[in-house]
Amino acid sequence: MIAADRAKDTSGQENRPLLQGIAVHKDYGGVHAVRGVDFRIAPNSYVTLLGPSGCGKTSLLRMIGGFEALSSGVLELDGQSLAGVPASKRPVNTVFQNYALFPHLSVQENVGFGLAYRRLSKGDMASRVEGALSQVQMTPMAKRRPRQLSGGQQQRVALARAIVNEPRLLLLDEPLSALDRRMRKDMQIELKDLQRRLGMTFLHVTHDQEEAFALSDEIIVMNNGRIEQQASPAEIYRRPASAYVADFIGGANLAPGTILGAVGEAAVIDTPLGRFECPAVAGLRDGDKAVLCIRPELLRLQAGEDGFEVVVTHTVFRGAEWLVEAKASGDITISLIVDDPEPPAVGSAVRLGFDPTRAWIVAASAGG
Amino acid sequence: MARSRTGFWLSVPVYAAVVALCVAPLLILLAYSFFQVSFVAVLKEPTLKNYVRIVGSDTYRWLILKAFGSGLMVAAITAVIGYPVAWFIAKRVVAAKSAFLTLLLVPLYTGDLVRIFAWRMLLGAEGVLNTFLMAFGAIREPIGALLFSSLATHIVLTYNYLPFMVLGLWLAFEALDDRLVEAAADLGAGAVSTFRRVTLPLTVPGLVAGSMMVFVMVVGDYLTPQLVGGASGITIISAINDLFGTAFDWPLGSAIAWTMLAILALAFAGAAIVINRSSLGKALAAGEA
Repeated sequence: MIAADRAKDTSGQENRPLLQGIAVHKDYGGVHAVRGVDFRIAPNSYVTLLGPSGCGKTSLLRMIGGFEALSSGVLELDGQSLAGVPASKRPVNTVFQNYALFPHLSVQENVGFGLAYRRLSKGDMASRVEGALSQVQMTPMAKRRPRQLSGGQQQRVALARAIVNEPRLLLLDEPLSALDRRMRKDMQIELKDLQRRLGMTFLHVTHDQEEAFALSDEIIVMNNGRIEQQASPAEIYRRPASAYVADFIGGANLAPGTILGAVGEAAVIDTPLGRFECPAVAGLRDGDKAVLCIRPELLRLQAGEDGFEVVVTHTVFRGAEWLVEAKASGDITISLIVDDPEPPAVGSAVRLGFDPTRAWIVAASAGG
Repeated sequence: MARSRTGFWLSVPVYAAVVALCVAPLLILLAYSFFQVSFVAVLKEPTLKNYVRIVGSDTYRWLILKAFGSGLMVAAITAVIGYPVAWFIAKRVVAAKSAFLTLLLVPLYTGDLVRIFAWRMLLGAEGVLNTFLMAFGAIREPIGALLFSSLATHIVLTYNYLPFMVLGLWLAFEALDDRLVEAAADLGAGAVSTFRRVTLPLTVPGLVAGSMMVFVMVVGDYLTPQLVGGASGITIISAINDLFGTAFDWPLGSAIAWTMLAILALAFAGAAIVINRSSLGKALAAGEA
């Protein structure tokens, strides 16, 4: 009901989403992979679907691609329902996880595969294939077979095979997971460039938050079949919608507590670490169970009486800095970044402080 | 050097076995095909008379043609029947896959004769099929042509060798990545187009393997035609059998055997050349399928 109203409000051209999901649900014989999610994807944006394995992100992608039917709910592309539209008729193309290149066809023939279903002259087809191959710098490999290419090269061919069809929406299913770390970084930059150059909308599934941060205009964080939050990377990092998002993205220190006073966009929370006034998610009320999230880089060693005391349990050298793990009262695990030449000794007690205006309070999840 | 010599000595038994069990008998057979028979004695003077006799004989030419024709036909029929069966077992059966494959193979355990006699009971004039059709009034008199005919031979041959075709194709389907089919749909291909451009080319190796197995076995099968083929039951293989047995004309038998071998080898070489020139062959050469 609410989702439908929202759709009506923004049916004006400017804010009309390219893709909209309303209460999209997928149920595999009693296993709920996707639990009635709503989302909107703006045209010409790079959106990542981020979540741990089994969170439903791949199921969602497969429903958008047309490989799985929805159990219930609606998917709309350009305002038109995709119900009953087979994969072959959707203006959507997919870059598959292990590329799924046709082994019996050359690179050129792979890229031209989808163009056979357009009314194109031989010359047009060849020039479009050539154009797509040059977009991904694979022109010299046109005559090779997929088996003769490296993983990175296969990845590029899979990209070319999809973008040559000029889809309204390009789906990428963990496209970089099979590449080594260096190659992955390079491909991230290239993917982002390609998306900007083509002005196409990319929807990219990944479990790697670094990748999501590097690429996205918006991130959709999924967990257990639900969308936890959809927002820009900075918003997700600074103002996570839930303790799950705070922990999954960037590993925040989480201190459970109780709201003592909620005023507008801030609240006072009482935790085992102490009592703090911090910005908070909307809708918290006095007495609510809540969680205080403090990013590791916010915490500082300090000499004064302020802050809270922790006992150092581990120190890990990371080159530019030390990662310090510690235990605070209430058995709360705290990690922080120390950029002194030497870290505090393991077993020693130190006092930590932070700027409360940069911490963040979220509601405790229903389970905890 | 020392190592490669060790390797050579270790491989000697393999070469010895191949020579003793395969090359030597064929060469002996080849030698005999140039000899002649005079009553019960073999005249060891080389001559081409046997081959001239085969080429000049309508009967032998016809029997050889019939053998290869049957092989091609049964290979084609088993391919048409086996293709969907193999697809079903590989792609649609999940839990009971090994049960299906076992069911497919169980008839093979019973032995040729048992299966052939089972078909005689099904197809005979008083057989199950005729009785059934008459009971339903579809026919008034039993169809005599069901048994002891070329039709019966081909029905039984198809039944006998279908499992080999299915196994070959099943392996090809197991190796076919489902995501390739999805990728084809993603790129705009409908069901027919996906089959023509992806599924079929990638399962051709299984089709070729299955067809070769079935073809060779059908050409070599003389029991089935003899037992259910009636008047049409004479085959080139039974002719060879007779020549080596009652007729005591080993040289002519050897010559027919070698003629068959030569034709088969030429056919397979031709097929190999065609496949190698196709895009599929190039993919196979690159080690992809």
